[in-house]
Amino acid sequence: MKKLAAISLLITLLAVALLVNARTPVADIPAPPIIGATIADFTLPDAGGASHTLASLRGSKGTVLIFIATQCPVSNGYNERMEKLAQDFKARGINVIGINANSTESAADVKDHAAKNNLTFTILKDNGNKVADQLGATRTPEAYFLDASNKLLYHGRIDNSRDITQVNSSELRDALEAALAGKPVAKATANAFGCSIKRGGE
Amino acid sequence: MTHSAKPIQLPFVFRSAAVLVSILLLTFSAAAQGKSAHKSRRSSAAKTPAPAPVRAVNAEEMQALLRRDGKRPLLVNYWATWCDPCRDEFPDLVKIDRDYRAKGLDFIAITLDDLSDINTAVPRFLLTMNAKMPVYLLNVADPEPAINMVDSNWSGALPATFLYDSSGKVVYKHFGRVNPGELRAAIEKLVGTKQ
Repeated sequence: MKKLAAISLLITLLAVALLVNARTPVADIPAPPIIGATIADFTLPDAGGASHTLASLRGSKGTVLIFIATQCPVSNGYNERMEKLAQDFKARGINVIGINANSTESAADVKDHAAKNNLTFTILKDNGNKVADQLGATRTPEAYFLDASNKLLYHGRIDNSRDITQVNSSELRDALEAALAGKPVAKATANAFGCSIKRGGE
Repeated sequence: MTHSAKPIQLPFVFRSAAVLVSILLLTFSAAAQGKSAHKSRRSSAAKTPAPAPVRAVNAEEMQALLRRDGKRPLLVNYWATWCDPCRDEFPDLVKIDRDYRAKGLDFIAITLDDLSDINTAVPRFLLTMNAKMPVYLLNVADPEPAINMVDSNWSGALPATFLYDSSGKVVYKHFGRVNPGELRAAIEKLVGTKQ
């Protein structure tokens, strides 16, 4: 009888353990802001732990936020292009900021990765995917271009292909050039395949 | 997705113990499974036919694959060998394919790997997974029309899984790693009851 009780206790424990362990489905990720919406200021630490606000990092002519990853081959396929974008537009008043919102990649990983890949732009660590939720970001790489007053002008891919030899439309760059020329952005959204952002609860 | 069943609340000590026991058991069973899978793969390598070759499709051909004729529901998984959560969830999908194909479910997997991997990394991965479902590689210069055709709310983040009923209506979709129980429940609703 004791044995039976022990076995049934074990089974109960197992069942409870399965219930406790069962991953609840990811809560629906908030929808991204619509084009033209103003992005509220936020505060995040960089990979070294120093705190920054969007207001302190934004460029005089605008800001590009790009969700990136250390492990995602698609994001890594864009390392050189992102760095070049940052260099090309820095002097023209647009700052590029990277955001790593992957719960699986630590601030130390972000720092190492930036050093190894010569990424010189600021990369923020979005612990708890607070800003990823604010912007409805789901993918790496995923870019947001804000004008000087933080109004969203473009949201989506950097260009059409992670293989640089196949690139024939560069929507992000086009949006920056249009804004600097005082013209409307012709294509304000565009998608591409990428890695899912690994949110905290997953 | 709502959970109607509330987990039983137990004191923390019990919960922790239960979690610990389950982790231990899961670890052992996973290790054992891994071992046996490895063994059987080795011993039956000569007999097991290689998975069907992966075929490259363009956006129009992909759209045709998704079309339904009113007979069988369809499960579609978008993945890539470079995508960690895709690889992680694949064994669950292979099991689902095995469990439900005979019951009337069609299942296709569409990879976003590079065309250069179509005869190497992709079939190699499918072989290790013992995957039997038809696999296609979406080969497009611009992925956007294909993404929008599948779902206008999809950013293109992988993996993504869609379940269509036999009329072609999406009845379940999930972005990111699937919850197998949830997916199975959705499939059961389509194949479990005979009209």
